[in-house]
Amino acid sequence: MTLALRFLVIAYLAVLVVWPLWEVTSRTFAPTERNAAGGVAAFLERLQDPSVAYAFSLTGTVAFWAVLINTVFGVGISLLLVRYQFPGRRVLSVLVDLPMSVSPVVVGLALVLAYSSGQGWFGEALEGVGILIIGTTPGLVMATAFVSLPLVVREIVPVLEEVGTDAELAASSLGASGWQTFRRITLPTIKWAVVYGVVLSMARSLGEFGAVKIVSPGAEFRGETATILIQNRYTNYEEPTAYAAAFVLVLASVLALVVVSLLRKPEHESENLQEVSP
Amino acid sequence: MSIEVRGVSKTYGDFVALGDINVSLPTGQLTALLGPSGGGKSTLLRIIAGLESADSGSVEIEGTDATRLPPQKRNVGFVFQHYAVFKHMTVAKNVAFGLEIRTHGGLRPPWAPQRRRDRERIRAKVAELLELVHLSQFAHRLPSQLSGGQRQRLALARALAVEPSVLLLDEPFGALDAKVRKELRDWLRRLHDEVHVTTVFVTHDQEEALEVADEIVVINEGRIEQIGTPDQLYDEPANDFVMGFLGEVTRLGPVRLRPHDIELSPTPGAPGALPGLVTRALRVGFEVRYTVEVDGQAEPALVVVSRTHARALDLDPGARVWLRPLTGATSVAAPEPRLEVASA
Repeated sequence: MTLALRFLVIAYLAVLVVWPLWEVTSRTFAPTERNAAGGVAAFLERLQDPSVAYAFSLTGTVAFWAVLINTVFGVGISLLLVRYQFPGRRVLSVLVDLPMSVSPVVVGLALVLAYSSGQGWFGEALEGVGILIIGTTPGLVMATAFVSLPLVVREIVPVLEEVGTDAELAASSLGASGWQTFRRITLPTIKWAVVYGVVLSMARSLGEFGAVKIVSPGAEFRGETATILIQNRYTNYEEPTAYAAAFVLVLASVLALVVVSLLRKPEHESENLQEVSP
Repeated sequence: MSIEVRGVSKTYGDFVALGDINVSLPTGQLTALLGPSGGGKSTLLRIIAGLESADSGSVEIEGTDATRLPPQKRNVGFVFQHYAVFKHMTVAKNVAFGLEIRTHGGLRPPWAPQRRRDRERIRAKVAELLELVHLSQFAHRLPSQLSGGQRQRLALARALAVEPSVLLLDEPFGALDAKVRKELRDWLRRLHDEVHVTTVFVTHDQEEALEVADEIVVINEGRIEQIGTPDQLYDEPANDFVMGFLGEVTRLGPVRLRPHDIELSPTPGAPGALPGLVTRALRVGFEVRYTVEVDGQAEPALVVVSRTHARALDLDPGARVWLRPLTGATSVAAPEPRLEVASA
């Protein structure tokens, strides 16, 4: 029975994940034409194309800012949700989860409606003071941050709920100000949750496509992120470049997963240590 | 007076946690807030510490009005039932926390030339405190490597480090097993005799309060039932509740009294003695507990005598006895007299 089940799971994963990814990998390193050279050298050469370099640097920039914004706001929102009672707390909690369930395309569309200079609600006003959101890097950052917001919050909230407020109250009765309590007590407590959330949202931000596609002009050297580049090249019969870029994204996600699993380990060890002593 | 609580009330929705509490706690004493769970004693302690705010009333600590002060400005040490130690810091770091974060007399920033001297001073103070709570050899361990009793001593040292004007302990031994609890109780009493800081601790264990405290405040259903020394409370309970909470009580005729304050006699004759029938005799260690059906009384009376005395009486279930309160017995009127007094 277990043998059959095991086979089923392996077959399922193979068909769904392993085989397609293997195809991407093998095509990345395959020679493009008959007689042309394949392998790592060809792969690197394709990546050195200025438009590809631009796409990756744009993706990197967008992911960096989106993760930074989400980390700051994620910690803030988590503290607000767990530590304070206020009317509308449950609504806020649901709203934080919304980006997880709403299709990224819808997110992109919503941002365009709200911020585009032509028809957007805030677009006109923002354009008046010289800020353009849609079609520029800030717009890409917004879309990416929107989509990956819950990842940080959902990692921190359970940890905050579990540790309770006793240690924080103890710190304040010892004379610590709010900031001192946060920096010396709360932050070290949620440290691993934050790091874990950051890695997850980094992976998510690098791979974001739907929301970004809508708000970006999506042309070469103009808002073309790595994912949009893959789509563009693939449809324009430049498959080798698309494969190369895709392979880099796969590599980044694998790296993120490895980092996460390495991080999870020390966390469990410290928990076990806690249980051993009476 | 070190702590003055005036007219403090606190409600949670419909539930009245505290109703118009007035109490003053003298300097240098060890006071117990005693009462059943949910009676409001922890709420009162947390209001004194500033961890919760009162709906009305005022709290004065060492002559300053602390009603509106945040906890970090009240100079109180607070010890939690579940220790609330900082898990990511070593024992020494935990104790040093309050000393390092002070704006004046704390640890100066890394660029300040006096930082090294601050560090030395704090280290000496921490060593002194760890000595006081017998944790010197654990200074570099993490709290997770300590036992429950050790963690609570660590929490105490940490609270004492900031030299608080009052030390507040919320069920400090509640999470510990019986043996450790008894040890720590003795230790707390000795510690208090050493450092003399005004201390208030919350407990629902009457034995703990009677043994450790200089003064006991009995709190029930958000009200103060009685304030007094352990002797006063035990010998002159203000009402039926205090009497019942501080020890075993039984009913004999129109009064309620302690089971060991009843005189048992196998013969009639003593004035005011009530006749009854022994239904059960149970030996528990050095004492014997008799259940006696008193004539004309619905509930049976419980009588406790020493083993030696019981041997002299030689009573078996079914024996006829006469009961009366011992001279000088502590008694209060029974709440609802539902018996006809029959005298022999």
